[in-house]
Amino acid sequence: MGEVILTMKDIDKSFPGVHALDHVDLEVRKGEVLALMGENGAGKSTLMKVLTGIYTKDSGTITYEGKEVEFHNTREAQDAGIVIVHQELNMLGHLTVAQNIFIGREFKKGIRIDDRKMNEEAKKLFDRMNIGIDPTETMSRLTVGKQQMCEIAKAISHDAKIIIFDEPSAALTETEIEELFKIIRDLKAKGLGIVYISHRMDEIKVITDRVTVMRDGTYVGTLITKDSTKDDIINMMVGRVIYEDPKTQNMVPKDAPVVLKVDHLNAGKLVQDVSFELHKGEILGFSGLMGAGRTETARALFGADPIDSGDIYIKGKKVTIKSPQDAVRCGIGYLSEDRKRYGIVVQKTVAENTTMASLENYMSGIFIDKKKEKEVADKYVESLATKTPSVDQLVVNLSGGNQQKVVIAKWLTRDCDILIFDEPTRGIDVGAKNEIYKLMNTLAEQGKAIIMISSEMTEILRMSDRIVVMCEGKKTGELDISEATQENIMNMATREIG
Amino acid sequence: MANKTTNTAGTNKSAIDKLGGQKFIVLLVVIALFIFFCAMSPNFRKYTTIVNILDFSYYISLMAIGVAFPLMTGGVDLSIGTGLVCYSLVGGYLITHQGWPTAAAILVSILMGVLIGVLNGCLVAIMDLPAFLATLCTCMITRGLGSIIVGGFGISWPAAGTPGGWFRKIFKIQMNGTNIPIGFLWIILLVIVMTFVLNHTKVGRYTLAIGSNKEATKLSGVNVKFYHIFAYVICGFFAGLASISYAAIFATVQPGSGAGFELEAIGGAIIGGVSMTGGVGSITGTLAGVFVICLLKTGLPFIGLTANWQQIAIGFVLIAAVLVDILKRKSEGN
Amino acid sequence: MKKRVLAVLLGGCMVAGLLAGCGGDKADTTSADAKSDSKDSGKGYHFEVVVKSFQSSYWQAAVQGIEQAEEELGVTTNTTGPNAESDIADQVNMLNNAINQNPDGIALAACDQNSVLDSLQTALDKGIPVVCFDSGVPDAPEGSVYATVVTDNGAAGAIAADKIYETVKDKIAKADGQVRVGEVNQDATSANITERGMGFINRFIELAEADGKTCAVVGNDYYVNLVENNGDSKKADIILEVAVPAQTTVELCATEASNIMNKDDTIAMFGSNQVSAEGVLTANQNLNKLGSDAEKNIIAAGFDAGSTIKAAVKDGTFIGAVTQSPLMQGKISIETLYDICEGKEVKDQTTDGYWYDATNMEDADISPNLYD
Repeated sequence: MGEVILTMKDIDKSFPGVHALDHVDLEVRKGEVLALMGENGAGKSTLMKVLTGIYTKDSGTITYEGKEVEFHNTREAQDAGIVIVHQELNMLGHLTVAQNIFIGREFKKGIRIDDRKMNEEAKKLFDRMNIGIDPTETMSRLTVGKQQMCEIAKAISHDAKIIIFDEPSAALTETEIEELFKIIRDLKAKGLGIVYISHRMDEIKVITDRVTVMRDGTYVGTLITKDSTKDDIINMMVGRVIYEDPKTQNMVPKDAPVVLKVDHLNAGKLVQDVSFELHKGEILGFSGLMGAGRTETARALFGADPIDSGDIYIKGKKVTIKSPQDAVRCGIGYLSEDRKRYGIVVQKTVAENTTMASLENYMSGIFIDKKKEKEVADKYVESLATKTPSVDQLVVNLSGGNQQKVVIAKWLTRDCDILIFDEPTRGIDVGAKNEIYKLMNTLAEQGKAIIMISSEMTEILRMSDRIVVMCEGKKTGELDISEATQENIMNMATREIG
Repeated sequence: MANKTTNTAGTNKSAIDKLGGQKFIVLLVVIALFIFFCAMSPNFRKYTTIVNILDFSYYISLMAIGVAFPLMTGGVDLSIGTGLVCYSLVGGYLITHQGWPTAAAILVSILMGVLIGVLNGCLVAIMDLPAFLATLCTCMITRGLGSIIVGGFGISWPAAGTPGGWFRKIFKIQMNGTNIPIGFLWIILLVIVMTFVLNHTKVGRYTLAIGSNKEATKLSGVNVKFYHIFAYVICGFFAGLASISYAAIFATVQPGSGAGFELEAIGGAIIGGVSMTGGVGSITGTLAGVFVICLLKTGLPFIGLTANWQQIAIGFVLIAAVLVDILKRKSEGN
Repeated sequence: MKKRVLAVLLGGCMVAGLLAGCGGDKADTTSADAKSDSKDSGKGYHFEVVVKSFQSSYWQAAVQGIEQAEEELGVTTNTTGPNAESDIADQVNMLNNAINQNPDGIALAACDQNSVLDSLQTALDKGIPVVCFDSGVPDAPEGSVYATVVTDNGAAGAIAADKIYETVKDKIAKADGQVRVGEVNQDATSANITERGMGFINRFIELAEADGKTCAVVGNDYYVNLVENNGDSKKADIILEVAVPAQTTVELCATEASNIMNKDDTIAMFGSNQVSAEGVLTANQNLNKLGSDAEKNIIAAGFDAGSTIKAAVKDGTFIGAVTQSPLMQGKISIETLYDICEGKEVKDQTTDGYWYDATNMEDADISPNLYD
């Protein structure tokens, strides 16, 4: 094992309302591959962003090659030799491979860009990596895997000493992954330090030397990969902490009618053969890792994305949902994970957002009855305890939790029987979270059926009556809350892979 | 001189985001410009000049009220200028060459506007063409179409006092030899109606919602396509009305002209606070914005500025207005 | 041709939807016309004609003259032109297309004197004779343009000055202060308009000075600079004010006109082409100052025809107007091309501007030129 090249010690970082990193340690050595693992939101990405200068740390030290450093932007980190290969590719599709690799530091001949030299240099890089990519090829014509290789080539070309791979295999095929591993081993042999972020247990076993596990923004521990089992790692990821009042039993009466039945639903790559039932008064949790296809399932169900095949039954009747309009007519309401983009119209008032989905109920003739609109908005502001000076306030001026309440009010005015909450508490501070939870429970008691997509294990265990677990577009398990534990959920969420 | 005027307008405008209500400020600018020109030129403060300004403002005002709707959805309609000329050519042709009654011709003109609006709307909302491109195409189509139908001749709608010339009285009547610009009353009335439509009907509500966040609006179960199209239909309808006002004020309608009219209307709407990225706007502001342009166009010759200086002055005012829009959005973004 | 058919097709589709019967019929006739252009072949000569635009009825009258010549001489022609006189690039394109047809000759009314030079060189290389009408091309390659048929614009402008001066002469003589004569010119760039505008100004000054009055020209710099020995605007008896709008629209011409007509000392107005004359009339809609009584009214004259101006001449709002002979120009151009093909010597020709007023509008030698 090589010498230590990078030490991060006691790194602390807070965002408003969130303690994202709580005194985290990390150590990278030359010529090794370190896996960085943890649930969604454990703080892996934040830590890497602190390292590469995208975020500024609140406290703690970073020692790199024996010196204490602090990078102020990615450029500085790059110049020092620390490079990230991102999960989502930052490629300019219209440019050639070589142009992409050398963007921002093009070779010049006088004032002219020296494309020939760039192509030569790119070719040398690829030769070194033993991959056959034509540097003059247009980037968008390469497969995702090849594009990823170009990202890596770009990283290497920076004379990197540490390369961070952020879920590199997510979009790759088996053979491409093989190729990736070959390159990583190669880099390792050349003495580079590699940080490998992934959820795929089998990959961790194959490629990494040590595993550092994070949980809820804290450092849990580091294991030697070959001496540990998958269960060891999962245990460290989920922890042994007892979370505050998780639900212990299914609150739904056994004879509660099925309000929604989804039968062999297919929609694109991330919704494959998904079937489930939803009962009246039930909160059905959807758990899984990022990119498991939960949001995609919800969007397909809501008509926002096209359905390839499969049937949807509402209260026993088969329905066709081709657009959100159809879904709303069927009594489905969708609260998006990305409120700003899909949930609210930020430049409009609370009242206008509240009646957005049910405006026809507040018309007199062809005119909007603003008095009635205000009344209903007032009513929901009161019953949901939304904090806003008045219903004429622009939604943009509200906090996240209160914006979420406005979206909830929007669907309540519609009297929807089925509500899909996609990450209902994302970006909402702790106090407001509890209010949202209470609200969801009340709604369930009133007989609404709720689908709750959540990446937070605590939230799933606390709110759900039953839990559907998805992985890579497939449903990998269904649990009653009484039998659900963090471990078995995590097992199912990684089953496809591990 | 040119710099002086533009600067006044400019400073007034950059203060807007502090003061809030853009339409109020624009109204102040209109009044300030009016007082300025009155003070500078004795000929400007004559009743007849005011009637002149009003006469020339009708068609731009009508176009601007209409185009405010596509603008508020985040789109644009470039076909209104040439469309206006096309509809008024066809209407006039039907009267003078085919012997149609004036009322029927007016109806046809407005109907053509509505149909081009439907076409624009479908291209943008259903076929997903960028609004700029789609309406640029219909701009060309209407321009050629008008010329083809009338065979290239200029068309004169019936003159005032002749049979079929009654429609000119919609905009101007004579009392004791004085011209009363009653067209302005109609404009005010339409502004009130459309303000109401914008703020108190589904059409208006969803127009702004689409411009503000189309995806969220769609996910609220709103028939986004329909209301998106409807915004362009409103625009076309008003281009139809504008074609009537144009025929009523100007003696001859020349085929091939009309390109550039739309820019004055769009400029007016933007000066009046309609956001180019959509979601925000007001009809009263739009009218005030149109009058900023009309006053500049009419007033600058009166204070002795020659052609090229006029264009420079108007250009600067537009820059100021668009800058205000951008600054406002930036401050909201923060 | 292709363009036209395509446009008609497109138009046809739209029109069919828009105006069931009549619009569709019209579109059909247009294409029929276009076809007949190429079918009739009398003596075998075929000429391509490129006009400045189909926008104004002025050019329609020219086309009428061309058609007359076609019939008389038994030749065929095909006329094209851009949408607006400002679409210079379009016209060059059309001219090039015309040259590629290898016609026996080309008649050209150039929108822009310089843009057509390359095309004229090509025509010369191919041995296609060109006759310019309406506007000359002074820098044309030697030998490419065989003859030029234009109105004597300076003389035409002078006719208007003669007539206006005659009417306001007494008033000027009696005036105890300065009097003002306004002129609205559509632009300060095209040769025709500037010649016309200056023709008016120079003749007016000449007449006034003959009566012992002094003149000064103010307003648009371009025109003011063209005046030799301009007088002092503070002392002169007569102020000649020249206005040019920012764009060539009726509305802006009207704004400029009303600015002048609003001044108390204005006694006469001249609009030097169809658009600017209509601008003067539009301004008068509100001002109501024009008329035929020099004591009470502002005396005004226009240029060219069109139904609006004709109506104004008829009811005395304008004391008259100058018309060119677009019909004659069109006809003479084709005749000249015919002569070239027949091997005859040809030379430049000018057509006159004619004064018309309520009394002679119906005369046989005037009325054909008064297009609607």
